[in-house]
Amino acid sequence: MYRTEDGEEIFVVDSHVHFWDASQENIVHEGGEQFIQCFYDYHTAFTPEEKQWTLEEYRKYGADRMLEDLFGNAAADMGIFQPTHLDEFYDEGFNRVDDNAALAAEHPERFIVNGRFDPREGEAGLRELERQKEEYDIDGVKLYTAEWYGDSKGWRLDSEAAFEFLEKCSELGIENIHPHKGPTIRPLNRDAFDVADVDDAATSFPELNFVVEHVGLPRLDDFCWIAAQEPNVYGGLAVAAPMAVNRPRKFGEVMGELLFWLGEDRLLFGSDYALWDPDWLVETVMNAELTDEQRDEYGTELSTDVMRKVMGENAADLYDIDIEAKKRELRNDGVSERFGLTDHYAGGGTAAD
Amino acid sequence: MSGRSADATDAPDVAAVRRRLDRVEDPELARSIVELDYVDRIEVSDGRVRVAFTLPTAWCSPAFAWMMAADARDEVDALGWVREVRVELHDHMHDEEITAGVNAGDGFGETFPDATGGVASVRATLADKARLARQYDAMNALLDAGVDPDQIVALRRSDVEVRDDGARVALDGVTVVADGDPVASYLGKAAASGHVTDPGDRLFLTPEADPIPIAEFETVHKRCRLAGVNMDGQGAVCDALNEARYGSETSGP
Repeated sequence: MYRTEDGEEIFVVDSHVHFWDASQENIVHEGGEQFIQCFYDYHTAFTPEEKQWTLEEYRKYGADRMLEDLFGNAAADMGIFQPTHLDEFYDEGFNRVDDNAALAAEHPERFIVNGRFDPREGEAGLRELERQKEEYDIDGVKLYTAEWYGDSKGWRLDSEAAFEFLEKCSELGIENIHPHKGPTIRPLNRDAFDVADVDDAATSFPELNFVVEHVGLPRLDDFCWIAAQEPNVYGGLAVAAPMAVNRPRKFGEVMGELLFWLGEDRLLFGSDYALWDPDWLVETVMNAELTDEQRDEYGTELSTDVMRKVMGENAADLYDIDIEAKKRELRNDGVSERFGLTDHYAGGGTAAD
Repeated sequence: MSGRSADATDAPDVAAVRRRLDRVEDPELARSIVELDYVDRIEVSDGRVRVAFTLPTAWCSPAFAWMMAADARDEVDALGWVREVRVELHDHMHDEEITAGVNAGDGFGETFPDATGGVASVRATLADKARLARQYDAMNALLDAGVDPDQIVALRRSDVEVRDDGARVALDGVTVVADGDPVASYLGKAAASGHVTDPGDRLFLTPEADPIPIAEFETVHKRCRLAGVNMDGQGAVCDALNEARYGSETSGP
């Protein structure tokens, strides 16, 4: 948990984490190498110099390091896995549901496993989605509309095939849909700045929540306008958050717009680990402030109450996490024992004990 | 990295090429590729020009990269003394295809047959976003000069004239002078996106390019602000990526 200067505790759910393998042995297509290079560019562009990883560390970091980065200094309390298969690029996939789930099984208190689907997989894809629900009881899916599949270089959320899968999500109780709408792998002009498909899907499936990852950047304007009209559209702050590192003024503007159009209840913090590391990112974001000018312009500020929602409560609402009960649970879990965090969680929730 | 910034010691012909390239914009940011430091090298020899440029990441949209390469070619080609121009894109996932296609005079669709939609529609969409971003600044210039929202939405193109001393806005027999630069900049981008070209056209439009109902002034004003924040925000991302890739010469939030 993050502690403010006033001693207030902020429970942090990192709503966007990966457990990936981009080692050279796993790469089977030049796209796989380009993909991790592209990620690494983003990593170095928005990571303080002394916190930057080497490319070799970055390719494959393993479970131990991930646990330490996320939870070692209690920067984050929980993480939500957002899988990205990229099977055309990586032999064993880049960041697969089953690998995520295996790590989560060792620390079920700490992780939420999300699934994924690709409507181009047809009937087999629907069966696979059912398997993910059955085996891992997923409440959400990450969707990567720019993923390659055979000759296809992407798909749309408002297609007939995608609707069939969303229908299936609804039927299975998979309520949280996380489409990646941000920097793309090989966009051409296909989805280079298009979030319009989210609009149709969100209107057609009001019972589902659409968490648009990366708040549509570089289409923040289209995203905000859609979200202003669709109450079930949320913004995932992965990619936007690290702008607080070296572009704090721009970060303030982006947050100002998001709070203006969506409000404080529909924004979710995410580090995009290992793109960025909550180990330092949480503190950077918590320390960010709007300028006086921005406060006047947007009529809001990044107050503790606002940030408490953005950093954890909003994700907790979507994933049915009882934060007070969770704090008690984390006091003695394996991660707290390993990193000596029992005292850290001792203060919270005692009244209910 | 040396050679990425405009150089005061440019030979006259190189300087002339650089001035033409300054008119080429990154369509996503609506800023000059010279200002953004994308141009690596300009070589001129016997009327033959070679321009090499690089983008902030290898993953920049191929459609955007194509537009910049094609625009650079056309701008340089417009110089009377230029006999031949070659534009090279480097360090991009599709650098070879784009360089070959643009220099052969092919279309985007011929080079990327699996791309859906043409580059023209992408260009139009981005130009329209830039129109909105600049409309925000122009509207603010008028608001600062004391023009009311109900007057602002009613203005026609012919009611405004940009002169050296500012933008002169005619309001029922009274003339108000507002800051001229944002208005001029807006009018240029509006015209480039195919709007506000006739004297009788409304000066300001909704994102959908309709006249602005007074009841929607606030919303439209805020949407224009949002378009600008998006563009600047993306500019900051590109800028940071550019620095990370090539080392920083200039920086700033």
